[in-house]
Amino acid sequence: MATTATPATTAAPVQLPLGQVDLADCIEWQSVECLNENSLHTSVNALKQGYREDNGLYLESDADEQLLLYIPFNQVVKLHSLIIRGPPEEGPRTLKLFANRPNMGFSNVTDFPPNDTVIASLENLEGKPIPLKYVKFQSVRSLTLFVEDNQGGGEVTQLQKLAIVGSTVETTNMKDLKKISENEG
Amino acid sequence: MVCMDNSEWMRNGDYSPTRFQAQADAINLICGAKTQSNPENTVGVLTMAGKGPRVLITPTNDLGKILQALHGLEVGGEMRMTSGVQVAQLALKHRQNKHQRQRIVLFAGSPVLADKAVLEGMGKKLKKNNVALDIVSFGEDDGEKVEKLEALLNAVNNGDNSHIVHIPGGERVLSDVLISSSIFTGDGEGGSGFAAAAAASAAAAAVGGGGGAYDFGVDPNLDPELALALRVSMEEERARQEAAMKRSAEDSTAKGQQAGESSSAPDVAMSDVGLVDTTDKSKDMMIDDDTALLQQAIAMSMAQAAQAAAAAGGGPATTDTSMEESGGDDQDLAYALQMSMQQAAAAASAAQGSADVNQVLGDQSFVSSVLSSLPGVDPNDPNVRDVLASLQTDEGKNDDQATKDKSK
Repeated sequence: MATTATPATTAAPVQLPLGQVDLADCIEWQSVECLNENSLHTSVNALKQGYREDNGLYLESDADEQLLLYIPFNQVVKLHSLIIRGPPEEGPRTLKLFANRPNMGFSNVTDFPPNDTVIASLENLEGKPIPLKYVKFQSVRSLTLFVEDNQGGGEVTQLQKLAIVGSTVETTNMKDLKKISENEG
Repeated sequence: MVCMDNSEWMRNGDYSPTRFQAQADAINLICGAKTQSNPENTVGVLTMAGKGPRVLITPTNDLGKILQALHGLEVGGEMRMTSGVQVAQLALKHRQNKHQRQRIVLFAGSPVLADKAVLEGMGKKLKKNNVALDIVSFGEDDGEKVEKLEALLNAVNNGDNSHIVHIPGGERVLSDVLISSSIFTGDGEGGSGFAAAAAASAAAAAVGGGGGAYDFGVDPNLDPELALALRVSMEEERARQEAAMKRSAEDSTAKGQQAGESSSAPDVAMSDVGLVDTTDKSKDMMIDDDTALLQQAIAMSMAQAAQAAAAAGGGPATTDTSMEESGGDDQDLAYALQMSMQQAAAAASAAQGSADVNQVLGDQSFVSSVLSSLPGVDPNDPNVRDVLASLQTDEGKNDDQATKDKSK
C-alpha cells in the first residue's frame, strides 16, 4: 500500500492508502455520543464533513480534560488509521481506543484494556495519520475513543478534526437496497 | 433516580403533616408525572440516611411497585448526600435502557455537611457523565445550605438541564410548590400536562382544607353537575340536622301534636307534619333525598290542588290513632296528593317509605329555599314527573295499608 501524506501545514485532503476510505459516511450520526463535551463545542464539529475542515469549529471538553467519544457505525468496518487535528497545547495526547464496547463511561475505561493506545505527536496534530493496530480492528461495529489527557496538560482539550480511515467489510448496506418494481421478477 | 432524605431531621412538622410525609407525597407525584409523561421513562428511589444509602427500587416504569416500595419507611440516621448521589449514579449507570438520559432528583432536607468544594467536584463528575440533577431544598436551612446547593447546581448544570427549587418552611404543601416548579414543567409536553391536571386537583384539594375560592373544592365551571349535587346534599344535611334538633325537643309531644294538627289549616299541617315525621326513619332520607327533593318540586307546582286535598284528608285523620309508624295525617295527605295528581305509575324505588317522602314534602319552607338554588331542576322535566309517579305508587301502597288497618 502506498501511503502519501501531503505536507501537514496545508489543509489539503490527505491521500489515503489504497483501498481505504474515510469512514465518515459509515458513522451512525444519531447515536454518536460524547461524554464531557462542552455543549457549545460538540463532537459534530470534529467529525462531520465540512465542519471538521474548519479549524474554528472544534470539539472541546467541559468539566476536565478527558473526553469519551462513542462512534457507532452502520455496518461492520475495519479500521486502518486515524487522522486528527488539534491545537498544539490543547490537542489530545493519549488516546485509547475500544472497539465494540457500547455504553462506556469514564468509570469503566480502566475495566478492560483498550484495543489500542495511541500517543499523538505534534505532527499527528497537524494531520499526519496515526496508524492503528489493524489486526485488532477487523470487525468493528462501534468505536469508543477515550482522550485521557492533552498535550499541554491543561483543563481543556480541543479537537478540530477526527477522521477515521478504514475499509468496509462486505456486508449489506441497507440504504443501497433498491426496491424492485412489481412488474419485474 | 430519586434520592430521599429519611434522616432524623424529617420528623419536624413544619410541613404538614410531617416533613417526611410531605416528602413522600412529593415523591409519589414526581414518580407519577415521570411515568405518565413517557412510557419509556423509569424511576427508581433510594434513601440516603439510616444505616447508609439504600436503593429501595431500581429504575422501573411500574408506578405500583414504586409506591409499594415507599410504604413503611422509617426516619432515622443522618443524611449522607455525597454517597447517596454516588449510589444514584451507579444505579443509573446500570439501567436497562441505555438510551435513557440520566437524572437524579435530590431531596435535601437536612443541613448539608459536605464542603462546597466537595460538592462542586461531585457536580462536575455528574456533568462529565452526562447526569442531570434536580435539587429540592426544603426543611433545615443553616444559611450555607442554599449557597452550597446553588454551587452544586452550577457545577452540574449543562445547558440548563438541571434545576433547583427552594421550599421554605410553613409553605402550604411541598407537592404543590413542586408541581409548579421547573422540576415538573421541565419535563416537556406530557409532564406539563400531568402537572396541570395535578395542579388543578391539588388546588381543589388544598382549597377544601384552607377555604379558598370554591365552596366545595370543585370548580363549578369544570364540573357543574358535581357542584350542584354537592350543594344539594349540603343543604339536605343542614335541613336534616335542624330537623334532628327539633326532633329531640318535640319527641315527647309528637303524638299530641299530630292530633292537634289535623284540624288546622293545610299549610300549617304540612309543615308541622314534616317536623313530626322526622322522628322516624330519618336515615331513609339519606337514600332518597334527591328524588324526594324532585318530588317536592312537583308538589310545589301542584300546591293548590294538594292543599285542597290535604284539607279534606286532615279531617278524617283525627279518628286514626292506630298508626304507629307515621301519623295518620301523613297517610291521608299522601292519598290526597295522589288524587290530585293523575300520572301513570312507575315502579321505581320501593325502599322509599311514605314517612320520609312526606316529611320532606311537608317542609315547604325548606323546599322553596332549596328549589330557588337549584338551577338545573325543572319541575316540568319528564324525569321529575316519573319520580313523582313512583312516589304516588308508594303512597298508594301505604294508603292501602292504612285503609286495611283502619278497617281492622
